[in-house]
Amino acid sequence: MASLRFRVTPWSLGELRAVASHPLSMSRFRGRGRGAKRKHPGVSPGRKLRGSSTSWWILAVSKSPGGVRLVRRRAAFLTQGRCDQHWKKMPAPATTYERIVYKNPSEYHYMKVRLEFQDGGVGLTAAQFKQLLISALKDLFGEVDAALPLDVLTYEEKTLSAILRICSSGLVKLWSSLTLLGSYKGKNCAFRVIQVSPFLLALSGNSRELVLN
Amino acid sequence: MVRFKHRYLLCEVVSDDPRCRLTLEDRVLGTLVRDTIARVHGTFGAAACSIGFAVRYLNAYTGIVLLRCRKEFYRLVWSALPFITSLENKGHRYPCFLNTLHVGGTIRTCQKFLIQYNRRQLLILLQNCTDEGEREAIQKSVTKNCLLEEESAGEELSDSGGEETAEPME
Repeated sequence: MASLRFRVTPWSLGELRAVASHPLSMSRFRGRGRGAKRKHPGVSPGRKLRGSSTSWWILAVSKSPGGVRLVRRRAAFLTQGRCDQHWKKMPAPATTYERIVYKNPSEYHYMKVRLEFQDGGVGLTAAQFKQLLISALKDLFGEVDAALPLDVLTYEEKTLSAILRICSSGLVKLWSSLTLLGSYKGKNCAFRVIQVSPFLLALSGNSRELVLN
Repeated sequence: MVRFKHRYLLCEVVSDDPRCRLTLEDRVLGTLVRDTIARVHGTFGAAACSIGFAVRYLNAYTGIVLLRCRKEFYRLVWSALPFITSLENKGHRYPCFLNTLHVGGTIRTCQKFLIQYNRRQLLILLQNCTDEGEREAIQKSVTKNCLLEEESAGEELSDSGGEETAEPME
């Protein structure tokens, strides 16, 4: 008994019993061939170890290079009475909450953009602005994607800035066509995308424009 | 394994004018399809579809066209085909449309489909034909097809047999 070393592992009961019932794991005498299927005298699974203060149960006998090790588990977790006492100490949850997750993403995406000309002083009406957007889409993605439901929600002629609304599947196409738009009526221009969000409310405030003190 | 995968679109050129099919040429049709893709899908579509694009097979008598395109962009090509409205050759414009019969991954599957399709078309022609001489010719080719079907997979023979008899109907 003294030569045996113990090791505790958190195995489940079924696994331990499966290991214990395996003939190889029962063999004490290694190297004697596969036929050596002798059980340990006095040591077998499901048997209480004598001479120990706490009730240890031998659940399996496992083979290892250093010698025979016993895998054991404290009986306190197995017996019914002690388990109940253990669980009673934990407080029950006072309120139950329900978490609702919406998987459907937003249908539209909103973009805040500004048109910059290389040499200033070019004025565009709202209709011309929208025509420019549609021609950019048509240039890169053709007639099919020029017909995407695109709306100009607000437009300021002085600063040439606008808020656009596009369906979510067409956001990438619109953004890439705005990026690749180079000129309007022979004058070089560029679109600056200031903010993109699936929620219109997010475009109302921008932390970059926040003025402190 | 790592290789470029293609999709083969088997199309039929349908037109009221009988001269339309005779003026079909593979280069003319190829440029027509490429221009249509550029119009419908823009620069992106034109670039994406024209990499692996080719006209693999063209039959002027039956108007069967086999187009090849890359697997990733075959839907762009397919969706652009209904926008082809007319065929222009040597100054003559013929209104026509392309009817897609089959999409296959290899030429062989498209060929198999084409053989079955031609056999069915022969039977339909037999029903609709009015002239006695034509009726005999079609019946002969139908029986020839059945015999060939029983013998072996003589694909090329029956394919050409089906096309020859379709010619007098035009």
